[in-house]
Amino acid sequence: MNLFGVMDVSGSALQAERLRAEVVASNMANAETTRTPEGGPYRRQQVVFQSAASDQGTFAHHLLSESNGEIGGVQVAAVVSDNTPGLRRYDPQHPDAGKDGYVTYPDINPLTEMVDMMSATRAYDLNSSAVQATKGMIDASLDILK
Amino acid sequence: MQITTPLSDELSRYLDLSSLELKLTAQNMANVDVPGYRAVGFDFAQEMQRSIGDALASRKRDTAKAGSDVNVTKVDGLVERPDGNNVSMDREGMKMAEAQLQFRTGEELLKREFTRVMDAIHADK
Repeated sequence: MNLFGVMDVSGSALQAERLRAEVVASNMANAETTRTPEGGPYRRQQVVFQSAASDQGTFAHHLLSESNGEIGGVQVAAVVSDNTPGLRRYDPQHPDAGKDGYVTYPDINPLTEMVDMMSATRAYDLNSSAVQATKGMIDASLDILK
Repeated sequence: MQITTPLSDELSRYLDLSSLELKLTAQNMANVDVPGYRAVGFDFAQEMQRSIGDALASRKRDTAKAGSDVNVTKVDGLVERPDGNNVSMDREGMKMAEAQLQFRTGEELLKREFTRVMDAIHADK
C-alpha cells in the first residue's frame, strides 16, 4: 500500500473542487451579462463530477501500489450550460432591450451560487485536511529510519 | 537468519491496513460531491484478525506473506442524500483521525521493535 497514492486521490478532488469554485465565481461575475461570444445572455455553467477509475494497467500504477481494489479519485466529467430561458426584465433604455423593451438576463440566483460555493469550499477543506494527514503519516514513516 | 520478528510482521500488516483505511477515507472524501457514489470501507478488527492468522501460518510454512486481499465493501446505514450519494463528511473526518492515530501508534511500536533488534545485534560490542 503506497501512501503517495492517497495524495493523488485527494489531489484530484482538490483540482475538481477548485474548478467548481471557479465556475461558481464565473456564474456570479456574469449574473448581469447580456452579451456573450455565442450571442445572447450568459448561460449558467454547472460542473458534473464523476468518480475516476484507478488507472490500472499503467506502469506507474504497478510501480506505486499493491493494488487493493478500485481506489480512485474524482474527475470533472463535463461543464454543462444551463439551458433554461433567462429572466426578462423591463428596461427599454438598455442597448440590448428587445422591441418590447424587455432585456433577457441570465437566470442566476445568488443564493444557489453561494450555497454551491460554500459546499465547494467545505469539500476543498476536507480534502486538504486529508492531504495534511497523509503528509503527517509519510513524515512518521520516515522517522522509522532515524 | 531472520531479522524481522513476529511482532514486526504483525505491525507492518497493521500499518498496511491503517494506510488502506486512510486511502479509502480519502477516496470517500474525494467523491463527496459525485452523484450516486456510495461510501466504501472495511471491518478493521476482522481484517486484522484474519491477517494475523495468515501471518502466523505463513511464518510456520516459511512462505511469502499469504492473503493480502482485504474485503472492501460499501458501508451500510449511512443517510443518503437526494442525489444518491451517502458520504458523510463527519464520519470521514473521524475515520481519518482514527487512521492517523492508528498509523502513528503502529509506527512508534515498530520503531521500538527495530531498536530492540538493533540492540540485540550490538549487544556483544
